[in-house]
Amino acid sequence: MLVEIKDLHTHFFTREGVVRAVDGVNLDIRRGKTLCVVGESGCGKSVTAFSVLQLVGKPGRIVSGSCLYHRQAAGQTDVIDLARLAPHGPEIRRIRGREISMIFQEPMTSLSPVHTIGDQLSEVVLLHNQVTRKEARQRVVEMLARVGIPKPAERLDSYPFQLSGGMRQRAMIALALACRPSLLIADEPTTALDVSIQAQILDLIAELQRELNMAVLFITHNLGVVAEIADEVAVMYLGQVVEFGDVLSVFRDTRHPYARALLGSIPTLGQSTRLALQGARQAARMYSIRGMVPHPFARPQGCAFHPRCEAAIAGQCDRVAPPAVQLGDGHWARCWLHAGQAG
Amino acid sequence: MSEKLLEVSGLKKHFPIQRGFLRRIVGYVKAVDDVSFDVYSGETLGLVGESGCGKTTLGRSLIRIYDPTAGQARYHTRAGGVVDLAAVSRAEVRKYHSDIRMIFQDPSSSLNPRMTVLEIVGEPLINHRLAAGDELKDRVADLLRRVGLRPEYMQRYPHAFSGGERQRIGIARALALNPRLVICDEAVSALDVSVQAQTLNLLMDLREAFGLTYIFVAHDLSVVEHISDRVAVMYVGLMVEQAPKALLYSAPLHPYTEALLSAVPRPDPTQRGQGRRIRLLGEVADPAHPPSGCYFHPRCSYCLDRCRVERPPLREVGAGRSVACHRAEELSLRGVLAERA
Repeated sequence: MLVEIKDLHTHFFTREGVVRAVDGVNLDIRRGKTLCVVGESGCGKSVTAFSVLQLVGKPGRIVSGSCLYHRQAAGQTDVIDLARLAPHGPEIRRIRGREISMIFQEPMTSLSPVHTIGDQLSEVVLLHNQVTRKEARQRVVEMLARVGIPKPAERLDSYPFQLSGGMRQRAMIALALACRPSLLIADEPTTALDVSIQAQILDLIAELQRELNMAVLFITHNLGVVAEIADEVAVMYLGQVVEFGDVLSVFRDTRHPYARALLGSIPTLGQSTRLALQGARQAARMYSIRGMVPHPFARPQGCAFHPRCEAAIAGQCDRVAPPAVQLGDGHWARCWLHAGQAG
Repeated sequence: MSEKLLEVSGLKKHFPIQRGFLRRIVGYVKAVDDVSFDVYSGETLGLVGESGCGKTTLGRSLIRIYDPTAGQARYHTRAGGVVDLAAVSRAEVRKYHSDIRMIFQDPSSSLNPRMTVLEIVGEPLINHRLAAGDELKDRVADLLRRVGLRPEYMQRYPHAFSGGERQRIGIARALALNPRLVICDEAVSALDVSVQAQTLNLLMDLREAFGLTYIFVAHDLSVVEHISDRVAVMYVGLMVEQAPKALLYSAPLHPYTEALLSAVPRPDPTQRGQGRRIRLLGEVADPAHPPSGCYFHPRCSYCLDRCRVERPPLREVGAGRSVACHRAEELSLRGVLAERA
């Protein structure tokens, strides 16, 4: 076990009211494994990731819950509750960027436009290690070479705008991995990229993960990417994890109606070609979830998904929030439909 | 197949690169470079490619947001005549703007935040002097109902709607003038999966109901597969392959199409790690300085000496199929169904 998120609540206190962006999330991130968090916009997946690193900005803050980080150092493990650390304090700053680091969706907005790639990377190296400037620069060149940037020594003096989208994302990865972290949080790192570049970046992350034995918390809305890289999957809806399990269980034995609907509403490559070859004149209609994600201030009572759920039980789902029902071997779903089976 | 609605031949759009005080032209970005295709009435033509391949520029050149540098876009009018949209004056083109409409990618930046839904959807009707007053309201209400929005909300501003609803407003605006051809430029890319499915269904329903023809520009190959009848693949301003959907996806002829299809992540964990993906090395070529010969050769795993010097033309290979590759006949490339066997 590397990080245990327990009953985490992160709320945003806006003028209009309180947005419960993360509302009781439980997640376990295991050493060296990839956990994918999927969900649609506004489900709280990014805020969960930001909470781990204490990066939630005002008016948001972690209200309750814990985030236990099992740090291994000098042969022993100590447990630190990241949720208790002060967001600007020295403890979290020692962890951030060194033991746990993060890459973001849009590298153009998260890299500084007025500093060269070399300066930005050596800053991280210098901050967390006792090395000279020259050694730091040498490390940076090695890192850039490792993430597949051609002619790394020449690239040190480039500014981010001089690199292509894929190269910028590689530079970001180099930046995040500079201190060999034990956890990499990746927030939609391939969403802005083309499929061929996306495939390159996913391969690169997987390679580095094996090399460094690092855990990855991968936030995405793309179920194809999840199937490709995840060991474990958490499906989120309105601030809660509704289904959790290993990738095969979640994709093959999907239990929560929302997770099922989500999987049903993406077009699968090949499906419509097969139909067309069999002589179908037109593609079938896509399955789609009725209604839309409710406004964050108008969170439904009971199970948050019940107004859109086709299997909702009247009088139960709309009143009482469902418990997490164990479905076997780490696979669970928050749904009344399965509450009976588990007994 | 039904009759042709639009015949595009040799269409080019080059953007000059200007430098220095005198704005000297030092080169051209060949965003669209010699593209030819036909659009048949009632079909959906998918247009795919990676960013920078010129698919958006192509769509915009057709409705003269950009003036094409060269080429023809012969549009078959309702009256039975033929007009070259690339050559006629801008004033002349306006006549056909009611026939050819566009839906944009980002519904929040393509709707004016200071206009109500009534004004946004009604504007084309006013501009073309088709309706006013109460009749306008009735027409707008009807359009909103057709796209699944409640007409009571027509006095609201775009910010009061979710992303999916805003895209529906954009669709209602496109339909206001009863168009024949709708160019959907990444119309569902910015939407969440569940909203995306709803919007795709809506687009397919509207096609039936209004007898529309779509040019569906997108980078998501699964979405394009779902909605299109025929698909055209672009790479660095050129069209590299064009075929009926089922043929293109099951038996691609261009190595770029093959690689693109193989790179799409499948939502099925049992299919991973079978060496399925073809690694596309490097990046998309710069359209200002494209490589010699075939533009794809530096990334192509089937590249021969000939490919480095001679650019392959787009040529017909069988019914309704064309491809720009020297080796199209000898290669047997993998489609999307192959790995299941």
